[in-house]
Amino acid sequence: MTGEEIRPSRLEWWWLVGAFAALAGAGLLAILMGAVDLDARSVLFSVVDRLPFVDVDSGLNDRQEAILWELRMPRIALGAIVGAMLAVAGGSYQGSFRNPLADPYLLGAAAGAGLGATIAFAYGEVLPSGPIDTLPLLAFIGGVAGVAATYAIGYSVKAGRTPVTLILAGVAVAAFLTAVQTYLQQRNAETLREVYGWILGRLSTVGWGEVWLVLPYVVVSTIVILLGARRLDVLSVGDDEAVTLGVDPSRVRLVMVLAATLGTAAVVAVSGLIGFVGIIVPHAVRIVFGSSYRVVLPLSVVIGATFLILADLLARTVASPAEIPIGVITAFFGAPFFAIVLRSSRGLGS
Amino acid sequence: MTVALSLRGIGVRFNGSRILDSVDMEIARGEWLGIIGPNGAGKTTLLRAVTGSVEFDGSIAIEGSKTSTMKRRDLARSVALVPQHPVLPPGMRVVDYVLLGRTPHVHAVTGPSLHDFDVVATILEALTLSALMDRDVTTLSGGELQRAVIARALAQESPILLLDEPTTALDVGMQQEVLELVDQLRRERSLTVVSALHDLTIAAQFPDRLVMLAQGEVVVEGDGRTVLDPVLIRTHYSANVKILDDGSGGIVVVPLRSRQPTNDSKN
Repeated sequence: MTGEEIRPSRLEWWWLVGAFAALAGAGLLAILMGAVDLDARSVLFSVVDRLPFVDVDSGLNDRQEAILWELRMPRIALGAIVGAMLAVAGGSYQGSFRNPLADPYLLGAAAGAGLGATIAFAYGEVLPSGPIDTLPLLAFIGGVAGVAATYAIGYSVKAGRTPVTLILAGVAVAAFLTAVQTYLQQRNAETLREVYGWILGRLSTVGWGEVWLVLPYVVVSTIVILLGARRLDVLSVGDDEAVTLGVDPSRVRLVMVLAATLGTAAVVAVSGLIGFVGIIVPHAVRIVFGSSYRVVLPLSVVIGATFLILADLLARTVASPAEIPIGVITAFFGAPFFAIVLRSSRGLGS
Repeated sequence: MTVALSLRGIGVRFNGSRILDSVDMEIARGEWLGIIGPNGAGKTTLLRAVTGSVEFDGSIAIEGSKTSTMKRRDLARSVALVPQHPVLPPGMRVVDYVLLGRTPHVHAVTGPSLHDFDVVATILEALTLSALMDRDVTTLSGGELQRAVIARALAQESPILLLDEPTTALDVGMQQEVLELVDQLRRERSLTVVSALHDLTIAAQFPDRLVMLAQGEVVVEGDGRTVLDPVLIRTHYSANVKILDDGSGGIVVVPLRSRQPTNDSKN
């Protein structure tokens, strides 16, 4: 037998093509559908019109042009970026902790960002303002600080330290931060509605500012995570055996978690807490395409983007003209899926 | 004799308690050394010290170069370990599992080359795993799994192979098959083998030389007849055994009941 006869797991190119086709389809659907329906031909002409040296009449009036370019397009782009980041970060956490239920929010990122956002809503007017809005800034700092606290506590444990230790530390940090957040929220009841809306997540945005704000973090984090996929496959045989294969598990875990956390904190800062994406998407990919992180992570990027665009489309159309918070949509589909994962998690990990 | 692996004054402490204390060993190239000793004697810890998985005092050298100054990858190219309780990633196929053994040779980003695939293919064939290569590792039987784990270690192409109680979970036929396989691979690939062994008859039959550890220290070393002494075994294992000739120059170790059953029949 020669090397050509063995078929190790790998990312087949047509899987990626299929995933990108789904993404394009979801994007198109989300562009055309909404409170104001746009027709495909006009949208196409409007896009072509924006190309350099091309001048065609799209037939859209100024208001429709504004809806297309200042509302829907940036919202779809933001949804894609947030979905991609949350999904790939979830995969990165699951691989790093060898825990099929690990999620970007698990290690204090969500609770920290929630606290940061609550502070911004409650005391934003008295805080000094800088070039970045107080809300995303504090949510970002809160998310990173939450994970940093979890790491500090988890790594202060000397004996019997396992990936589970870190997750337990995350539970403790999250409980503490949530307690502080709830207290502040009670003290500033007038901001309750805003805080509540933020915690449930929203992609409502006007213009491209938020897209450009988070894009650099997401690009860098995603590249770092994708480059580490092979290392995560090695980590799947446990820390002890990974060492004998020449890999430093703590270093791999640190890099992967750091990248996932920075990326997650960045998207949470602009989108609020959109739950379950980091669990549903990598698991769905794993069930269909196999468990190698070289397959799971790249496909999670594309399918995560697709999933959140569709979730957001539902969020703004099912009760139109009212909007359902997108976190409600992802949780509505995510929670039952989570239950299925739990039922079959003997086959998926641990 | 060329020394493949040498250990000098190895000490390991964990939470203040002493696991290993000034252990010295030299293993010749191509030799099979068996490490025996009661539970908790430090056998596994000794192997873990060699793979760099635990911190230790003293020095370990492979072909003359100290492991403490080697990069992790280089160490993994020099020493491969077959763990006693391998962690099996659910959903991972045998071929992917064996390919993990190429990790110290593979660039983390560009991935394995055709040469790596060739190495894996050759090993799968040698260990009669070709027909199983697409199976999920968690569905393998005990013997199949042990072959897969050994295959992964061989894929590292390290000159030194460490086996931590490689036959514990196997029936007697499978034990012999796996150990004969190890011996055959050792000859074909001129490997140096160090194995921790539970079964004293296996220890008598397969390795060239034995070391007995007890409470983290070397008690005795030498050939099977020297080390497998009923008095030493009684002292360190608290076991009553009889050493018998196997009829072809070797010995077997038979456990005996120290007290005869009493004849207080109740019927």
